[in-house]
Amino acid sequence: MSAAKTPDPSGEIRNDLMEDPRERAPLVLGGQNFHTVSNKVAGIVEEKTSLKWILGLGLAMSIMLILVGSIGKLVHTGIGVWGNNHPVGWAWDITGFVFWIGIGHAGTLISAILFLLRQKWRTSINRAAEAMTIFAVMCAGLYPAFHVGRVWFAYWLFPFPGQMGLWPNFKSPLVWDVFAVSTYATVSILFWFVGLVPDLALMRDRAKTKLRHTVYGIFALGWRGSHRHWLNYERAYLILAGLSTPLVLSVHSIVSFDFAVSLLPGWHTTIFPPYFVAGAIFSGFAMVMTLLIIARKLVGLEHLITMRHLENMNKIMLATGTMVGYAYGMEFFIAWYSGNEYERFAFINRAIGPYAWAYWTMVSCNVIFPQLFWFKKVRTSIPAMFVLSIIVNIGMWFERFVIIVTSLHRDFIPSSWSYFRPRLVDISMFAGTFGLFFTMFLLFCRYLPMLAVFEVKGVMPAADPHHEPAAGLGSVGSGKGGHGHGAH
Amino acid sequence: MSHAPEVLGDAPDVADAERLDEATGKKLVKVAGAVAALGLLLCIAAYATDAKRFAFSYLTGFMWVVTIGLGALFFVILQHITKAGWSVAARRHMEWVSAILPVAIVLAIPVILGAHDLYHHWMGPQAASDPILVKKVAWLNPGFFYARLAIYFTLWATLAWWFARTSRKQDESGDVELTHSMQRVSAPSVLLFALSLSFGAFDILMSLAPHWYSTIFGVYIFAGSVVSALAVLALITVGLQGGGWLKRVSTVEHQHDVGKLMFAFTVFWAYIGFSQFMLIWYANMPEETIWFHDRWQGSWKAVSLTLLFGHFIVPFCFLLSRHVKRHKRALVAAAIWMLAMHYVDLYWMIMPTLDTGSAHPSWIDLAGLLGPLGVLALVIACKASRGPLYPLRDPRLAETRRHVNL
Repeated sequence: MSAAKTPDPSGEIRNDLMEDPRERAPLVLGGQNFHTVSNKVAGIVEEKTSLKWILGLGLAMSIMLILVGSIGKLVHTGIGVWGNNHPVGWAWDITGFVFWIGIGHAGTLISAILFLLRQKWRTSINRAAEAMTIFAVMCAGLYPAFHVGRVWFAYWLFPFPGQMGLWPNFKSPLVWDVFAVSTYATVSILFWFVGLVPDLALMRDRAKTKLRHTVYGIFALGWRGSHRHWLNYERAYLILAGLSTPLVLSVHSIVSFDFAVSLLPGWHTTIFPPYFVAGAIFSGFAMVMTLLIIARKLVGLEHLITMRHLENMNKIMLATGTMVGYAYGMEFFIAWYSGNEYERFAFINRAIGPYAWAYWTMVSCNVIFPQLFWFKKVRTSIPAMFVLSIIVNIGMWFERFVIIVTSLHRDFIPSSWSYFRPRLVDISMFAGTFGLFFTMFLLFCRYLPMLAVFEVKGVMPAADPHHEPAAGLGSVGSGKGGHGHGAH
Repeated sequence: MSHAPEVLGDAPDVADAERLDEATGKKLVKVAGAVAALGLLLCIAAYATDAKRFAFSYLTGFMWVVTIGLGALFFVILQHITKAGWSVAARRHMEWVSAILPVAIVLAIPVILGAHDLYHHWMGPQAASDPILVKKVAWLNPGFFYARLAIYFTLWATLAWWFARTSRKQDESGDVELTHSMQRVSAPSVLLFALSLSFGAFDILMSLAPHWYSTIFGVYIFAGSVVSALAVLALITVGLQGGGWLKRVSTVEHQHDVGKLMFAFTVFWAYIGFSQFMLIWYANMPEETIWFHDRWQGSWKAVSLTLLFGHFIVPFCFLLSRHVKRHKRALVAAAIWMLAMHYVDLYWMIMPTLDTGSAHPSWIDLAGLLGPLGVLALVIACKASRGPLYPLRDPRLAETRRHVNL
């Protein structure tokens, strides 16, 4: 059943999936005007706290408690509570770090790169995706911070001046990672906050209590919506988008350097940087998808986050998933083509060795299942895309696990070969990060406008200076007669 | 969703379409034809002088036009896959450029004839006693190699021909359904394109040094292809606009967008080039570093540095400016520069196989470039003078006319 032809419960014809090249599909449905959009989005924050939200937050915080407990155990006992062994010195810790950092890529891609590419559909999803980015980076940051064991020395990760005799080795990509991730986190927060300012002012102006008025007012930075404010805003946003774009690529490229600068077969391969970036965007979109499908339903945003938005995200997942598949294929081919027996062994071992189950889980989740997105029926089916988004989340976790653990577990010396098994704290800590992530996301949904209200208004027909309310379908093509006559 | 085929109302008559006037068209074809003829004569002379050097020089020039054509084909496919609205006119120009791909099947003949010189490392008898090449013989053997080349070039020619033909059909009929079918075909096409370009790059360029390998090599060639194709597009856009054409569909806003894309792909090229170099340099494995080591000997070092500065740092600083991208002469200068740098890039990849120790530029190299370059110019001139200058009845024409950069 195609959603394009299905009237929604109100009897309205949803034309968000229309495919007429003479016209762009509407990005806002349901006969909304500026006022109803403000009411809808601000209403989520203003209405009474719902039981559903309280239950959700309770569940998320309970899971977060598992994280707190795991970290407590880790700090109290030492990082020996993880299952890392020799030769598998890196395992679930780095897997979890890279997994979360990867998820943190969709937000900035949506807000910066899609902005530069004039993809107007980004307006309904960028705010939530950017928030998710920040929370994902927070989860990722836990791993480097706590892997030092004595967390009170976590500040040693930072690039200290040499005379303090501390650890930083500037030739190590691990140090570059600290630069890259902290820059990314800073710029992402800044970008997100700048984009929030006009909506915070909206919340301030609508506030009915003194407290709300004051708190939103402080963060709205005195925004009055004057012409000058908007000019400055647009300029600042464009510059931040330009600056964030290389950051989207650099963070995961540098994460990939952590592995690829080494000599280890399975880690050392030149395609790693763009391959990691594609995978990060892939996993980020999957997580945005998982969250937005639920959120859209729970708070009733179907008119603002339309099927077209979801379909576009599915297409990006298909594209990036296939890029990841391309990288798997190239790695395998070149491992064979190199004629290097260590390279060949590493990859054959991945496919048929002790971790073959993980490798094939990865390949099916990341490459095979997402091929279903070739079908429009799948791209526009909520249950199908929800299941697939979770499959991709799982697959991308396995990708990092496969890269890290299978490359390590069979060392150059067969006598040191071993098999990694996670311990309880490995598993509980990773599971707990989801608690932190969902807690933050639920708080965000409750206290900040989930959608960029003013940006959504900007892509509505009424925002077009040439908009005539009476104009129908034919208006776009009406200028057709004018061109075609050339210079003779 | 299916739509009944529709014909746009008030579509301009094809006979009345905007075209190059006959005199200009003839002049363009004449000039390009003269360059091509001169190039071919020089090629014959060069072949007679030094067949081996000519094989390498010609491969460089040949790959220069093939990669430009591939970049153009990618651009065409990309506009369909993303349903782009701004680029309707630009798409037609890239269809002209991609028309070099069917011609490339003929242009490939000298490469096939010189294959034993070019790929002597693995085609020659010594390959049988090389312990590494023995392991690769299933891939690197002449029969399979030629078969693969046939597959790549047939595929590229077919895709370029099909997209251009369908687009021209729409000029006649105005059928919206043709847009849908190009859209549908574009998605699987990009997949085939990515695989064929990557393996083509491995086979034609990477196997010149058959011990060496790099997983990113296909992406590196792709990045250079797109930059150079966009440079050609910039030349065509500015050229036509400057001659007073395209007034109804293309403005400085479109030119600005071409400049932005050229800038973006220049950075992308640098990102990919840096990834390849840095990871190999850092890991310092002899079997990988040898390739860069060969390009750091004698005067090759200067060529390597030319790439770093000329293909990235200088154009990055230059194209960063909005003013430059909107200034006709400045953008043309940048485009010509990038085309030259793309040639240097290919020269740097191919010629050290022959000129070990130091670069020895010769007039033969010029011959190897001028022949294919002339043919590319001739193909573009013929296409430009024989049809409408933009897709006359593309359904997104109205949108492209409204396009502005904010």
